[in-house]
Amino acid sequence: MESTHKLGMQVCIETQKVSKIFGGLTAVNAVNLSVPEGAIASIIGPNGAGKTTLFNCISGYYKPEHGQIIFYGQQIQGEQTYSVASFGIARTYQNIRLFADMTAIENIIVGQYPRFTANWMDAIISTRREQNEEKIAIEEGRRLLKFVGLEGLGDHLARNLPYGAQRRLEIARALANKPRLLLLDEPTAGMNPQETDKMTHFIRSLRDELGITILLIEHDMRVVMDISDQITVLDYGTKIAEGKPREIQSNQKVIEAYLGPGGSSLTKKYQLRKKQRHAIIN
Amino acid sequence: MRTSPVRNGIQTGTIFGIIMVMMFLIGFTVIGAELIGKILGNPSISGMPDLIYFVIFMILVGVWCGVSAAKRPLYGPDSVKDAVLAGLSAGAICGLCAAVTGFIFGSVAANHIDVRAYLVSVSPESISMFTFNQNPTLGALALFGVMTLSSFLSALVAVEVRTSQKIRTMIENTSGSISETVHSQRISDLLNNKYARYGFYLIVAIALIILPRTWGGYWNYVFGTVGIYIILGLGLNIITGWAGQLVIGYVAFFAIGAYTFALLTAPVPHNLLWNFWIALALGIVVAGISGLLIGLPILNLRGDYLAIVTLGFSEIIRILLKSDLLTTFTGGPRGVHDVGGPTLFGSSFNTDVDFMYIIIIAVLVVSFLAYRLQNSHTGKAWVAINLDETVARATGINAFVSKLLALALSAAIAGLAGALFASRNQFTGPDDHQLMVAINVICLVIVGGIGNIPGIFLGAFALKGLPEILREIENYRMLVFGILLIVMMRLRPEGFLPAKRPVLEKFTADQRSSTDPASHPGNLETNTPPGKGK
Amino acid sequence: MENKSSPRFPLLLRVSRYIRPIVGVIIAIFLAWQLYSVIVVQHNFSADTWVRFGLSGLILGGMYALIAIGYTLVYGIMFMINFAHGEVMMLGAFGGYFMLELLRFIPMPTSANPNLNFLNAYPIVSIILAFTAGISVSALAGYLLEKIAYRPLRKAPRLILLITAIGASIFLQNLAMLLFGPTRKNVINPDILDRGAGWTWMVSGNPVLIPYTGVFSLVLSALLMIGLYLVVQRSKLGRAMRAVAQDKNTASLMGVDVDDVISKTFIISGVLAGAAGVMWDIHMGLVNHYIGFLPGIKAFTAAVMGGIGNIPGAMLGGMFLGIIESIGPAALGIDFQLKDVIAFSILVLVLIVRPSGILGEKLSEEKL
Repeated sequence: MESTHKLGMQVCIETQKVSKIFGGLTAVNAVNLSVPEGAIASIIGPNGAGKTTLFNCISGYYKPEHGQIIFYGQQIQGEQTYSVASFGIARTYQNIRLFADMTAIENIIVGQYPRFTANWMDAIISTRREQNEEKIAIEEGRRLLKFVGLEGLGDHLARNLPYGAQRRLEIARALANKPRLLLLDEPTAGMNPQETDKMTHFIRSLRDELGITILLIEHDMRVVMDISDQITVLDYGTKIAEGKPREIQSNQKVIEAYLGPGGSSLTKKYQLRKKQRHAIIN
Repeated sequence: MRTSPVRNGIQTGTIFGIIMVMMFLIGFTVIGAELIGKILGNPSISGMPDLIYFVIFMILVGVWCGVSAAKRPLYGPDSVKDAVLAGLSAGAICGLCAAVTGFIFGSVAANHIDVRAYLVSVSPESISMFTFNQNPTLGALALFGVMTLSSFLSALVAVEVRTSQKIRTMIENTSGSISETVHSQRISDLLNNKYARYGFYLIVAIALIILPRTWGGYWNYVFGTVGIYIILGLGLNIITGWAGQLVIGYVAFFAIGAYTFALLTAPVPHNLLWNFWIALALGIVVAGISGLLIGLPILNLRGDYLAIVTLGFSEIIRILLKSDLLTTFTGGPRGVHDVGGPTLFGSSFNTDVDFMYIIIIAVLVVSFLAYRLQNSHTGKAWVAINLDETVARATGINAFVSKLLALALSAAIAGLAGALFASRNQFTGPDDHQLMVAINVICLVIVGGIGNIPGIFLGAFALKGLPEILREIENYRMLVFGILLIVMMRLRPEGFLPAKRPVLEKFTADQRSSTDPASHPGNLETNTPPGKGK
Repeated sequence: MENKSSPRFPLLLRVSRYIRPIVGVIIAIFLAWQLYSVIVVQHNFSADTWVRFGLSGLILGGMYALIAIGYTLVYGIMFMINFAHGEVMMLGAFGGYFMLELLRFIPMPTSANPNLNFLNAYPIVSIILAFTAGISVSALAGYLLEKIAYRPLRKAPRLILLITAIGASIFLQNLAMLLFGPTRKNVINPDILDRGAGWTWMVSGNPVLIPYTGVFSLVLSALLMIGLYLVVQRSKLGRAMRAVAQDKNTASLMGVDVDDVISKTFIISGVLAGAAGVMWDIHMGLVNHYIGFLPGIKAFTAAVMGGIGNIPGAMLGGMFLGIIESIGPAALGIDFQLKDVIAFSILVLVLIVRPSGILGEKLSEEKL
């Protein structure tokens, strides 16, 4: 089941001892994380473990108190959100945040914003550059709509789309900027098993077809174990484990973090059953 | 939950009773009667309108009261009795309020006490009209009777109309055929037809060229004002309608444009007498720069601070202009007179007709700019910031710079409007730059349809054009604005002509209908997303 | 890697980052220089004048503080500038004025003075009645405002709420103008609380009048502020208010009736504004439809200055603004016509230099 994708040698994103403190609470505590180019890496952990806070640090909403965030060799911690985006890091949100009163295709066009060079003066006199960019933007918008399977829904307001379509549109908007790193915050939240399967497949195709490095937060262990090349487990802001899915599954600390002390005995049964199921499938 | 019809009637009646009493206290009963007289082609000559028009006015209020009491959606399909009961009780309560007021004021007037020291609008004439020129008791009874009867009868009629299948189908057919005509393929084809559109433009262009020459100075003045307000509305729309940052003190930039222009062209106080066009350009630039300077420290703060800071800024500017401190520089409270008019190739160009042309051209230019900006990436970025600033920043939009640009452009356009205004009136003074100007502009943008260019035209005509025609309600204009703002925000926050998003994916009609998510209602309703996440 | 991003207006960004300290330093130097030149070099005013300015500033500051608390309470709970709050205060002032006028028309002839009226016969009762009337009118206005205009928009974007508030402000102001006329009305106090009456205090050989009305206003506003502080900190309602300000959803899950709390918040701010309005009647002596507008905006300034959402901040900000407004023109050596400019400039400066106010904002954080 584990991905056999060939990983690049280069490190895409790396956090070095990143800490974020709110008042007296250390939400993220000296977390080290390193994701090679072309990997699908997951961050898991119980609620309140600091996963989203770490995302917010990477994407520039929060400035970490300590530590460095390095994206392709360049320090990006404390940069403004929009410049982080223009470096090639795009993200989605736990609770979908589209531009609800814009059409689907407009959402994607706005997502391409950092790539536009024409400014407002170009727009007013309608220069060649502006016209070209506009044409390319719409083309790109159509292409991405097709890519995420929303062809024909482009002129509907984002708020009127069904839930699953909104999730995919959010990813399309993130892709519009041709990112090199995609941060997905619970991409399968609120989905039924079929939709989840589709989404899992889709995420893998993002990496395989577009070569984008993906870092995701996910609660659905089935998805995580299925697609991850690497898993990082956070608990109370601290990294408690890191490794390949199989290593994480059997890690005592992780099981205890999720189920409390003594939880490992509980999971034995579950793992046994899972093995049997695998045997049947294979 | 089912409430008793009488209770509902009493509620509606109380509201209408309060409205009724308030209308009497602010003297609107007289104005209303006068308006009705005017509409019926019989304007009052001797000051007070005829009693019959007042009776009609009261009946109208009663009818409205009865209909809205009967309209409450808690009655079954054929509970005629309930609805009529509600109408009756509403009318009775409303009439009671009016009658008590009429009795009190009638008695006061009978004792020759003038209440105008405290309630300016309640003149003895209006009291005597309110009590139907009778003594207090009879007047009160008459008021009660008129209100109750009209409310009761109208509720009866309303329920009949609502329950009668025949009338209902008739109404549905008419409205259906109207909407069919409006939305019919032929008309939309006509609108999309290139030649038809060019023809339309041609007609508008000819009208715009001919009309200012023919309709005379008064209408040129009225529509010149409307044009300047359109420019202001288009300007404010950039920062408020698209970028979503409320600017209350927008008049500050108007004032800066007007004064820059006036001081550069007027003989007093500086005697610079610059050329119209250079001064106009400078007025625009100075206003734009002031917008930039105001926005620089404020725009990265919480949104509503911009509203309050610009409000403060506009008050500062007005007070400074009015004070003695700057009299030598800006002419002080008396303002700047003999502001220069436009010239064209050395010859003067400032009759009212010429000026109307300049305003028309300015309106066209500004709407063209606005149109281009709306469809540009910058325009989309503004809307994105308006909808969700956090996400907009995460998609790579530099929200601060975008908002700054929007504010500077808005301010520059206000500067243009100010310069034109000063030049047309050949005068500018502190009283031209009251806060009410800015509030009018906010109103017209919102009423017309926030973020929508045609909506702003509509709003400007409705808010600046109509009051010029209906001179009677001059004093009540601001009151009506206030009510309008509250009601609009509650019932139709998107305005009369709401903004539409452009069609960019351009699918043909049949393809679109087959993939319309609205055609899969189950899909939509079960999976409605949990909102914007805020 | 190639650097894809080149910020579009790098200069502007850099400017905006350093603008705060630079502006702050420039202003500090300017103020120090002005103060030095006015107080030490020119010596225009003697000590008693300064005392007089300070005193009137304190009294004004008390009223500003009461209004500012209303802004801060509402902003803290609803994230909304209740633009019509100044108008609520104006209605309170009218309520008090009409009560005083009414009492003046009730004859209470005694053998000693056949022309005596209720107002002078029972001055304390009259003042209490006036305050009751003003406070009731304002509290009712605040309650109705929330119920009719704001409650249906609970889920609406903030811009829409703000516009509604502006609409309500225009409506109330013009309604008052149409009802009571645009002229200013003189408020006639009971004789013992005449605006000219007061204690005299000798400062450097010159008498300074400490008016009874002023002392009365100041003491009353102090009492009201203490009362409010106790309500917010100690009572069940206060706890509910703080909970709603933190997080409406969680508060409602914990059994707090959010609508009720918001309603009561508006009533409380109406009560304070009404008290300020009647103080305005008694101390300033002039009422018309426009009196709420400027004090309203200035009180909002005071609330921002103290740190919005922060009740002690609003009190401090109000006092501070009142004093600055009356001392400022003299201290800076500028025209007294420009005292309103000082208030608004302070607002702009506070936002530039320290946007979270003197004591810091107390608002729930935006969730990402």
